[in-house]
Amino acid sequence: MLKKSAANVAGVLLALFFLFPTYWMITSALKPKGSTITSDYDLVPLSVTFTNFVTAWTKPGFLSSLGNSLMVTLTAVLAAVVVGITAAVAMSRFAFRGRKSFVLLMLVAQMAPFEALLIPMFLMMRDLQLYEHLTSLVLVYFAVTLPFCAWTLRGFVNGIPVELEEAAMVDGCGRWGAFQKVTLPLLGPGLVATSVFAFITAWNEFLFAKVLIRSQDRETLPVWLSGFQTAFGTDWGGAMAASVLFTVPALVFFLIVQRKMVAGVTAGAVKG
Amino acid sequence: MTAVKTTETAAPAGGTTPPALPPAVTGGARKRRRRGGAFDRALPYLLLAPALIAILWLIGFPVVSVFVTSFRQLNLGELVRGEIVWTGIDNYVTVLQDERFWTVTLRTVVFTVAVVGSSVGAGLLIALLMRALTPWVRIALQIAMLCAWAMPILASTTVYQWMFDQNYGILNKTLVQLGFDSFAGYSWFSSGTSTLSVVGLLIVWQAIPFLAFSLYAGVVGIPRDLYEAAGIDGASGWQTFRAVTWPEIRSLLMMVTFLSTLWDFKVFAQIWVMREGGPSGESTTLSVLQYLEGIAKSHFGVAAAISVLMMLILGLITFQYLRRLLQTEEGKI
Repeated sequence: MLKKSAANVAGVLLALFFLFPTYWMITSALKPKGSTITSDYDLVPLSVTFTNFVTAWTKPGFLSSLGNSLMVTLTAVLAAVVVGITAAVAMSRFAFRGRKSFVLLMLVAQMAPFEALLIPMFLMMRDLQLYEHLTSLVLVYFAVTLPFCAWTLRGFVNGIPVELEEAAMVDGCGRWGAFQKVTLPLLGPGLVATSVFAFITAWNEFLFAKVLIRSQDRETLPVWLSGFQTAFGTDWGGAMAASVLFTVPALVFFLIVQRKMVAGVTAGAVKG
Repeated sequence: MTAVKTTETAAPAGGTTPPALPPAVTGGARKRRRRGGAFDRALPYLLLAPALIAILWLIGFPVVSVFVTSFRQLNLGELVRGEIVWTGIDNYVTVLQDERFWTVTLRTVVFTVAVVGSSVGAGLLIALLMRALTPWVRIALQIAMLCAWAMPILASTTVYQWMFDQNYGILNKTLVQLGFDSFAGYSWFSSGTSTLSVVGLLIVWQAIPFLAFSLYAGVVGIPRDLYEAAGIDGASGWQTFRAVTWPEIRSLLMMVTFLSTLWDFKVFAQIWVMREGGPSGESTTLSVLQYLEGIAKSHFGVAAAISVLMMLILGLITFQYLRRLLQTEEGKI
């Protein structure tokens, strides 16, 4: 019994440790302007205001970078998921020459250290006249997320018994019809989990966004936030409000699929 | 766990599937049949083509290009003029003779080992702890970890900067409240070690949730009767861990350690945003060095040599595991 309560105390303390930065971000964002930068000990906010959110929202660059981030991330993820699905179906539903090498290629490509490809990517985008264009970021994020999407979706397609498709085809569906009416709906949860993980990866990306885009009206949210001191000075309340706004989309997606994401990433290991 | 279970049942789907299923005799399918087996034989390749082209173009080509570039003298002048100047291994000589490179490499390796070690260790402990918790405490802990995990890197880096702020940061204020008056106005970013410790704490804090959730999933999956048997045999807590838990989660633990190494070795955003590798370059790691040489100074050839060396070091660290992983995966395909 004593052991159990000791464990629970440790659990509560750990929960506080993990929660505190989020708590501090939100409360700092809610504090009135004068009471953020203060020497008083202010662990609990005494008054609440939303002016910091208004400040952050109307800061030059916030809305445009939010739009850029959403545009780049969603386009890249959509492309990666669509291309990933076709590759996944090919890898798990067909037997053909070279299949094994292709599956291994996907596994290896997933582990490519993209940060180490910064220089050639930069030179390539420059040669393609895509430097300073959001298209370059779409391409990079597409490439970063594609192997993961294809690999994970292959796992999910493998999990759908091929007999279901065969049954549909016996009943008169074409190959496409069987895929569309049987496999695709069953793939739903896997698709959501995969695309959320890809979304988070692209939503977080900083290095390429910083290097490939220089002009302010085209930068993404991480780059904009990294320069918050130019935008906010020492207005930590405003910076925290911007951070909250940046976190909300990611958090919402996370809550939807948390369980499946863990499973998806480690699927390869657990099987062994 | 859903995905894990589904992939397990999936074994027969792959290799044993006959390539061409009998096409049914309705609608669009009839047309396809007339074109015969050629289309069916080409279909998998057509489906793979977009992914294959994208990977070769956007990953394969840069990988080749980084090697090629590392043997060129490529500064802003050559780049603008479009000149190609081969310099053999000069870039490597420059980098390897630079004492700073070795300092930074050592720092990066130590940093990676420390961060991976503490996050995997803490993740495992929390996973084991979660088993012993009352349900509501466990759920509270899981929600708290989810919040840490979900926070975008740039948001969490900004929050940490604010918490560790010299004059108004909550950490210094708390330490002063607790009686440590020397922390009033204490700067956590005055030395490289201190800066990297803050960055390390930030990375570990955000990495633990994934590790703890994955390992918890593995721990929960261990059949209960194994523990009962160990209990009947009179095993102590540590013996039970060694004999029952450890063998069951070892491969999972190796996997997440490997993934963490891949992720933590190349960290850039947190380090750069905190102090841009400072003070005076003391928190610079390899990815920051590569950025400084390549992008800030426009020495693309030298930076490419650094990138190649980065990949080599990462390859050396992970080689053993990578080989085993590829072998087991190859067997499974």
